[in-house]
This record gives sequence, structure tokens and C-alpha cells, in this order.
Amino acid sequence: MTAVVQPAPVATGQSRYSQLIRPDQVHGSLYTDPTIFAEELQKIWHKTWVFVGHESEVPQPNDYVRKQLATQDVIMTRDRDGEVHLLINRCAHRGLQVCDDASGNSSSFRCPYHGWTYRNTGELLGYPYNKGYGGKNKLELGMGKVPRVASYQGFVFGSLAADGPSLEEHLGAAAGEIDRLVGLSPEGEVSLDAGWLRHRTRSNWKFLAENETDGYHPQFVHGSIFGVTGSPIGALYSDSSTAVTRNLGNGHSENDLRPEFRNFAEPLRWFGTTPDRVPQYVAAMQESYGDDAERRLIEGAPHVMIFPNLFIAEIQVFNIQPVAVGECVQYATAVQLAGAPEMNKRMVSQSIGSVGPAGMLLADDTEMYERNQRGVQMLDPEWLDVRRGLQRESIDENGFTIGAATDETGMRGFWQHYRTLMEAED
Amino acid sequence: MTDPVVESEFASVSVRLDTDGNSVRLRLEDLRTGRVRHLDALELETIIWLDDGRLTQLLDPSHERWRG
Repeated sequence: MTAVVQPAPVATGQSRYSQLIRPDQVHGSLYTDPTIFAEELQKIWHKTWVFVGHESEVPQPNDYVRKQLATQDVIMTRDRDGEVHLLINRCAHRGLQVCDDASGNSSSFRCPYHGWTYRNTGELLGYPYNKGYGGKNKLELGMGKVPRVASYQGFVFGSLAADGPSLEEHLGAAAGEIDRLVGLSPEGEVSLDAGWLRHRTRSNWKFLAENETDGYHPQFVHGSIFGVTGSPIGALYSDSSTAVTRNLGNGHSENDLRPEFRNFAEPLRWFGTTPDRVPQYVAAMQESYGDDAERRLIEGAPHVMIFPNLFIAEIQVFNIQPVAVGECVQYATAVQLAGAPEMNKRMVSQSIGSVGPAGMLLADDTEMYERNQRGVQMLDPEWLDVRRGLQRESIDENGFTIGAATDETGMRGFWQHYRTLMEAED
Repeated sequence: MTDPVVESEFASVSVRLDTDGNSVRLRLEDLRTGRVRHLDALELETIIWLDDGRLTQLLDPSHERWRG
């Protein structure tokens, strides 16, 4: 049973969320109260830009894949002209789920209940025995559509709000992190077509979003994978690290490990390998980027959490979707760099080791998420602490707030944006 | 040897080259109903040249099969 501890009544002139979210603490009910979850769906998940999938998942005309957008079952389609659409998986007749397969190729979808048939753009093509409707083309109906769909470097986002900031405005500085990832491909392109692992997680989605750039936990939670693999990454998350946690604005944040990698100046150290083991990749990067190839190979891939649900963790991408106040799903896949088969093979095997069914990274995190969800239902203390590093934050040369590698700067940025969205008038 | 099948969650059709006639034809079988249609080379070429809009019209369930 979920216990919800309610804070003291809201003072006059103070919003509910300004009371629940303090600069250094957040209230436990934010993770357990079903009414807050319902409001999040309305004010965040049904409004802002949400990562849904990647164009590479529908490479051919008429390809489709079923995806999740918060609690909505959506079909990502590529029509015969190449345009990508997000349809709501629901028949306009009796509300049946139209597509059942996880993926396929079809120019049209036929509902199995009464045969209503739709183009893969959502338009109603027809229905059997049309005399019952007075003939053909008599109904102004179609499948529901996510009103705004936009892509950035092939990453497809949907917004269930007809109006609002553009995707570019929403991404802001985080777009540059996607560019960094894509810049590790000799062809300047990534694909997310290696297959998604689906991890059901009995935890509120926000624990995941906060954790992704929490540099305080890796040394504790991920000791096993660092130990087994001999990875040098763990050491980057300590008080002596020169890495920084950056609040990128709009709820986005990153652990920027580049200062450490620049100090070592070893190409591919971030990936735990050396150039002699992937010679064709290194040659292809030099061919494409000349002198800048070495910088790219030294600095590596981003570790960025893009609000509310896209986490790029260097070699893999997570798509987080909420299900209920105490449940969410993590979809994880290996990044695939166009023109880099040597790297792609390694990225898949490393991803299996970290986020696969028997992987050692995601399973450890998920244990924390689920224990977090159980713990936060306890009555006392009511608040969670997010003050780490508050006293040593600074502003970087681009105007972003940064903290040390293990500081909770990213979480505070998350809550700042969360509060803005939750307090916004409809 | 079983015939190749073109299928999705919406339909399932087996495909075979039929050489019983004086020139080769394509034999298509709707595996959900057993209905068979043969298409000769000229008919196939016609389908290739069919305007997308015309093909889309044919996908209306009440166009032929469930006309009522």
C-alpha cells in the first residue's frame, strides 16, 4: 500500500509546488502522491517535448514501430513520402488498439474488430459495408495524432500540446550534447536500431531522471561493474575529480567528464579502449574530421539527461516512460555510429554487459530506484535532501551553473524546471 | 519447400512462381481465407504503374471485399 505523507497546508499566496520544492529539499509526496502524478501527466508529459524514438527505427517507407509516450501507446510510422508520424494506437470507431505487433511494414492499418482501415498517416481510408454510414468517405474521423512531432539528429520527439516552445527551444544547450554524440560518427550520424531492452521499474520516474546525472552514487552503486571491468570511470566521480555537473537549463543536466579526459589526453579512454584496437574507426574519424578527430576521440561521448526522459549515457540511450506514480519503464539500447562497425560491435557487447538482462549497471541502479520508492513511503523524515554542493556552485564561461563531479546541481536544475512547468497556468 | 510468405499483423499472403501456363505467372494465396489469385507479367506491370492514390482507394474495405 502506498502511504502519502502530506506536508503542512499551503500558506496563503504560496503555490503547492513552491511548498513541496525547496532549494535544498524536495518533499516525499512528490514521488508517491497519485494526484501529483496525474497533474504531471497533464502539465509535463502531455505538454512538453518527450523523446519517443529514433528515425533509424523506421528506415524504410511504410515501416512502423510501437512506442510509448507516457501512458499513451503510439505508433511511429514513416509514410511513403518519408515523413515520420506519431499516431495514437486507437481505432476511431470503438476505441480498439489497432496495431498489436511491436513493428512492421504496412502502408495501412486495419482494425481487427470491424475492419476500419487507416493510412499510416492516420487518415481513415474506409470501412466495410459503407451503406450503414450513407456511403464512402462520410465520416470525418481518423486515428489520433500526436499534434507536434519533430526530430533532432534523428531523435524523434512528440508533444501532445498543439502549441508551445519549439523542440530547438526546449533542447536549448542540450542539443549540443546530441551533436557531440553524433560527432563521434565518421559520417555524422547515429542510429538506434540495435533493439530496445524493456525494463519495468517499480519506481517513480523522477528518481531515474534525478539519478542519471547524480555523480555521487557511482562509487557506491556501481562498484561491481567498475571492479569487474577495471573501468577507470569510477574514479572520475569523487571529490578530487575535475569533472563537473552542469545544469544546462530547461531541466537538462550533464556530468561533463571532459576535463578529466583532456588531462589524460588518451584517445578512446572514455570508451575503455585504445586506438590500436579499433584502427579502421580511428582512420575513418581522421579522414572525416582531420586534426579535430583527436579532440573528439579524447573527449568522448556525452553523459546527459534531457528532460524529462532521454538519457544519453555515452554508449547507450535510455528512454524513460512513466506508467503510474510508483512505476515506470526504462527502454535501453546501444548507440550505433554510422560508418564505425568496429565500435558498434563493442557498443552492443558493452551495453549488454551494462544494461542487458543480466547487465551489471542498470540492475544496480534499478535496485536503488525500487528501494528508493519503498523508502520514500515511510513516514519520517518527510523530505529528501538535494543540497549537496550548493555552497560551491559557480557559473561557467557560458553562463551555466556548475557543481563538482559529485554534486546535486543537476537535480536542482531538474526541480527548478519541474516547478516552472507544474506551476504554469493552462 | 514452403512458399515464401509476405505478411504483417494485418494480412498473410504466400507467393509462388507458377509455371503451369505457357508463360510464368505469380500465384498469390491469402493464407487467412485460402483465396488464390494469379497475376501475369502485364498485370504486375500495371500494378507497378498504378497511381498511389488509386492503390489507396483499393485498400478501402468496402471497395470490393466488404461491399455489402
